[in-house]
Amino acid sequence: MPAIDNILKQLNEKFSADIIGTETPNERRLFVDIKPDRVRDISNEMIVLGGRYMVSIGTDFSDVDGTMQLIHTFAFDNDNLLTGIRMSVPADNPAFMSITPDIPSAGWSEREYMDLLGMKFTDHPKPKRLILADDWPEGVYPLRKEVPWNLMPPGAEDVAYQLDECPEGCTVVPVGPYHPALHEPAHFAVYVDGETIKGCDYRGFMTHRGIEKLCQTQMTYNEVPFIAERICGICGSVHATAYSQAVESAAGIPVPRRAEYIRTIMLEIERIHSHLLWLGVAGHLIGFDTVFMQAWRVREHIMWLGERMTGNRKTYGMIVIGGVRRDITPELRDDILQVVNKIEKELKVIHKSIIGDTAIHKRTKGVGRITKEDAIRWSLVGPVARARGVDIDNRRDHPYAAYNDVTFDVPVFTEGDVWATLLVRVLELYESFSIIRQLLEKMPDGELLTELDAPIEPYRHGISVVEAPRGESVHYVITGKENTPERWRVRAPTYPNLQGIPLMMLNNQLADVPIIIGSIDPCFSCTDRVEVVDLQSGNCRVASKEELETLSRNYRDGR
Amino acid sequence: MLSKLSKRIFPKSLWVYHCNSGACNGCDIEILNVLTPYYDIERFGMKLVASPRHADVMLISGAVTRPTLPIVKKAYDAMPHPKLVFGIGSCATGGGCWFDCYNVSGGADKAVPIDYYIPGCPPRPEAIIYGVALALGLVDKKVAPVELKQMEFPIDMYERNRAWEERNVIYELLKD
Repeated sequence: MPAIDNILKQLNEKFSADIIGTETPNERRLFVDIKPDRVRDISNEMIVLGGRYMVSIGTDFSDVDGTMQLIHTFAFDNDNLLTGIRMSVPADNPAFMSITPDIPSAGWSEREYMDLLGMKFTDHPKPKRLILADDWPEGVYPLRKEVPWNLMPPGAEDVAYQLDECPEGCTVVPVGPYHPALHEPAHFAVYVDGETIKGCDYRGFMTHRGIEKLCQTQMTYNEVPFIAERICGICGSVHATAYSQAVESAAGIPVPRRAEYIRTIMLEIERIHSHLLWLGVAGHLIGFDTVFMQAWRVREHIMWLGERMTGNRKTYGMIVIGGVRRDITPELRDDILQVVNKIEKELKVIHKSIIGDTAIHKRTKGVGRITKEDAIRWSLVGPVARARGVDIDNRRDHPYAAYNDVTFDVPVFTEGDVWATLLVRVLELYESFSIIRQLLEKMPDGELLTELDAPIEPYRHGISVVEAPRGESVHYVITGKENTPERWRVRAPTYPNLQGIPLMMLNNQLADVPIIIGSIDPCFSCTDRVEVVDLQSGNCRVASKEELETLSRNYRDGR
Repeated sequence: MLSKLSKRIFPKSLWVYHCNSGACNGCDIEILNVLTPYYDIERFGMKLVASPRHADVMLISGAVTRPTLPIVKKAYDAMPHPKLVFGIGSCATGGGCWFDCYNVSGGADKAVPIDYYIPGCPPRPEAIIYGVALALGLVDKKVAPVELKQMEFPIDMYERNRAWEERNVIYELLKD
């Protein structure tokens, strides 16, 4: 364990007085307990040592030992190591130092716990509400133990989210909450100077359903994978696998090799379906509907295959803790190979026509460009990062399931624009075909499920990463009593990527907003429609409906 | 009766507005899927439009969360009369597995009146097409109406074995 020893040595040299203890459950996990005072310095040191910030986990342990715990997690991609630094403070005054000034992508995690747990973060640059509804009353923190999962407090009155200050001389263009380019309700306020974007504020989390609280209080371990699949209808298997792996890692449950192979096949099938979906939607967003129709026509075979394999077109319900639910029979094996061959053949045609299409080049090249340094600083993940020259892929760096048995390339581009993300996704599809063929060839016989006979011990920590089609999904599980997880934290890949959106939009054209947002996340649809609210330059004034009507009538009459 | 009425008041092409009120994208991609070549709902004259002001039909997918409740109502009000509303998927039908979570108001009927439900998690594209066609009177209903009587509620999910088997018979078919 040279990597762990090295990290511990470096930390002990500088912060020996602040480190309370360490825990290494296996050679790929490291947990360091620290005193909360110097969290900022220690986090910076982890970044200097080569760590990549992933997510923070806040937990209410007030009923156990009267504390609140905060964990910052870091991934060491070159050493196949995941680390967490844990700190606790008394629950009656949960105040921490903010690490956001140094690590900007921690901003949302910390804002989340301000909302959900009532934690306070000193020196946070933007301590605004993030998760909860605008009319949610102050002082009610839903993730705290004393708050039931179904509490519905009456709404506070006269509250509205205050958008960021509009830069001098700029106009606000609201995109959302219901915007044709956004498939889900989310609100972007885009600040434009003429046609050029000068800034952006985001008010989203409108589909926050309280899944973590529900599963921590109402569900048992075995029921959570099916809820986890419903976090996202596109990458459901990813969340179920990540959750199961986190519990297995915390409790030390062995998984049969055949089950791991089947899990990997499901993940790759999901990647093919998701990338083809994204390709179609991206074509749709730039007004090229033929790509949309063709990509979705090809994708339909994967949906039918999913139905033959699992019984449902999406939300497969294949993965449970300790294994999988269904086998891949020899007939299904031939079926999968046939479908994969067919899709590969048809994808080659689409690929060729996209590469040669000047319209797509013009709409995507040089759009949403950011540098590799910025991508690393904002902890971008997945194809978005790989298009910016950041060579990370959890399938290779932190191999899980059966990925250590297959060989594949990780396409990386340095252009840093939307075109590169498109290329990364298309090339990844070919790798997925190859991975599925290798897996089907090498698949061993054996059991599908490990039966558990002993209960899972409480208060163990498990962390797992899975490379979803959009990037890295992180699940963190703290096991609990009564067959229920004490804490389950999900970080989907869009979480860090969306934080990088203002940077990608900067100095781009307003017309490129949908494709820039679309380039990180496949869930967008329909044609472009931006509702422009007129504002006097430098002086924010929202034009009323009547004014706009008069304006348009005057325009029509040539006045 | 409603389908006869629909046939009279929507004699021509329907324009459909899709409103995600807090869904997981599963239903949304199936709604988009009905536009694609294998299903091609445009052959019935239906078209997905961007604005509720252009729409005759609203498809709501997902449980209505607390922040989206007022926005869904606004979108519904923006649609011109006459209008139909479809709840797509289990979450829109009754709130799904998060019907009583702290940030969820419940099924789509908590926000707007729903005319037709298309359940499923997610519903198949065929089911969506069939539901819309049924509503418009293009096809006949294939199942006979069956009345179910609820015998006992709530069902205790955590009871095991014998007790569970005994309680498992919760519905009894009413004799004609």
